Amino acid sequence: MNQKHARVGWLFALLLVLAVPCARAGPLAPEVEACLECHGNETLELPLPSGESQSLYVDEATFTKSIHGETLRCTDCHTDIEGYPHPERTFQNKREFSLAYYESCKTCHFDQYTKSLDGVHYEYVSKGDSRAPLCVDCHGAHNVAKPNVPKSRISHTCARCHPQVYERYSHSVHGKALLEGENGDVPVCTDCHRSHDIEDPRTTAFRLHSPEICAGCHTNKKIMAKYDLSTNVLQSYLEDFHGVTAAFLKEQRGGGGRLTAVCTDCHGVHDILPVNDPRSSVIKANLVTTCRKCHPEANANFPAAWLSHYEPSFKKAPLVYLVELFYRFFIPFVVLGLVLQILLHVWRAVVSR
Amino acid sequence: MTRKTVAYVTRFSPRQRVEHLLIMLLFLLLALTGLPQKFFAAPWAQWLILHMGGIDRVHWLHRVCGIIFTLGAVEHLAVLVGGVLVGRSGFSMVPTKKDFRDAIVMLRYYLGTSDERARFDRYDYRQKFEYWGLVFGGTIMIVTGFILYFPALVTSVLPGEFIPAAKVAHSSEGLLAFLIVIIWHIYNAHMSPEVFPFDPSIFTGKVRVERLQHEHPLEYARLVSEGKAPADPHASPETPAPAKPGSEPP
Repeated sequence: MNQKHARVGWLFALLLVLAVPCARAGPLAPEVEACLECHGNETLELPLPSGESQSLYVDEATFTKSIHGETLRCTDCHTDIEGYPHPERTFQNKREFSLAYYESCKTCHFDQYTKSLDGVHYEYVSKGDSRAPLCVDCHGAHNVAKPNVPKSRISHTCARCHPQVYERYSHSVHGKALLEGENGDVPVCTDCHRSHDIEDPRTTAFRLHSPEICAGCHTNKKIMAKYDLSTNVLQSYLEDFHGVTAAFLKEQRGGGGRLTAVCTDCHGVHDILPVNDPRSSVIKANLVTTCRKCHPEANANFPAAWLSHYEPSFKKAPLVYLVELFYRFFIPFVVLGLVLQILLHVWRAVVSR
Repeated sequence: MTRKTVAYVTRFSPRQRVEHLLIMLLFLLLALTGLPQKFFAAPWAQWLILHMGGIDRVHWLHRVCGIIFTLGAVEHLAVLVGGVLVGRSGFSMVPTKKDFRDAIVMLRYYLGTSDERARFDRYDYRQKFEYWGLVFGGTIMIVTGFILYFPALVTSVLPGEFIPAAKVAHSSEGLLAFLIVIIWHIYNAHMSPEVFPFDPSIFTGKVRVERLQHEHPLEYARLVSEGKAPADPHASPETPAPAKPGSEPP
């Protein structure tokens, strides 16, 4: 009995799995076909008061191939339109036209929409800055596709508005690996800046927590092992002057206070190079120049004050290692000796009484 | 009227008392601003720094206290050297062979193998240990503190590795000093059965003649022979004491 039931259940599940894509695939929904009767015309345009002209053409093939091609009908996004003639709408310029549909995506993508409200792009959109991007500016409208296929697509998308940053990034150790080899381990823009709730990177608060961003990958043993990189970089940073100060400043209200170096101050931001590249800001020959950005009085010996993320060892930093070793034994020795003396003293006082 | 009178001897000069008070205050402030920097990851350290007004202010406070401590140390040394040159300072703090013998005698006494107690002069071996601990520890703290304060100046003559080495030494020595004070000094000044709950003599400058006779018999004998302490520790203050700075009514 049970087995029979189970078999029926499996059959049902299989039908369901087959049925859902079948319902989605296939020819365009009749509604879409109806819209395309007019909007399939390449010359259909809407002249705007600004002198611009908004194309109203939708390429059938583009839309069909898009990620929404099989699931959405035109009016799912263009919710203000129910039939023909369309209700009268006035747009001053192309931007206003886009803004009118800004909230369409929210119906399905509520998570991303609310996240974007916390982002720096929306901050500028809400201030009326026409250059700040809306959903469609990054994702496209009728041609929406997976934004990260291939991964480099993300960086190319951001590059449309941030070409100088892209230029620097493309020559960095991360950018090169991505653009030349589609390396899946290196960060693209959104890995550090996030995609919807993008934080303004120019604030002190961002600076102070930026080491956590770098640490996201640089403490990952699996990834770092592939490139023979140390995963001790965060810990060694946090334990030294800069890291300790950064950790305390982060806790302070407003994140104010004097500045302290974070990862990017020495290694660069978008232009990070491998540490053994002769042009790297942290290679020995260039290090003093890097230190002087904050310590103008730094001299040739100064950079050696920083152990370059190494744990002190007899080989790497013998003086530091020996001082550490000395106190590791000396402190317990003295403390134990004193405690012993106190115990003896107390014991004798009790006995003599 | 059978009021029991207690005779006192002045043991510490006003300068020594002020010095102790200043060191105590500076030590507390330096530990309060320094230890949370060493244990930066601990929640209590974060809390302390935040409530002292942030890391920048704590840095500032620590450095100011360090500078005052250094000035105090220089003054102490200058007075000491000056005193020796003029012939006024004694060498009562200098460790002698007797101190080592005393330590062994006292160890036997504490272990119960002997009932003989060492007879101490002005400073016993434990007091000397603490004084020289402060001198050596203080010197390490001052030197490494200034290395950390002026890293660029230091690296213009010394290799860069001195900076992290100074950091380790400063932070470890600071912890050691803190532990010695909270364990050893607090025990000797507060918890020890002889003084519990509090030994006020470094603040008042005075010590009971009876106690001096018990704890520093050699010093007491010398003071008596110099006429600076009453021969009878229970002497009433009315009896014309031969002492000048000595016995006063409580």
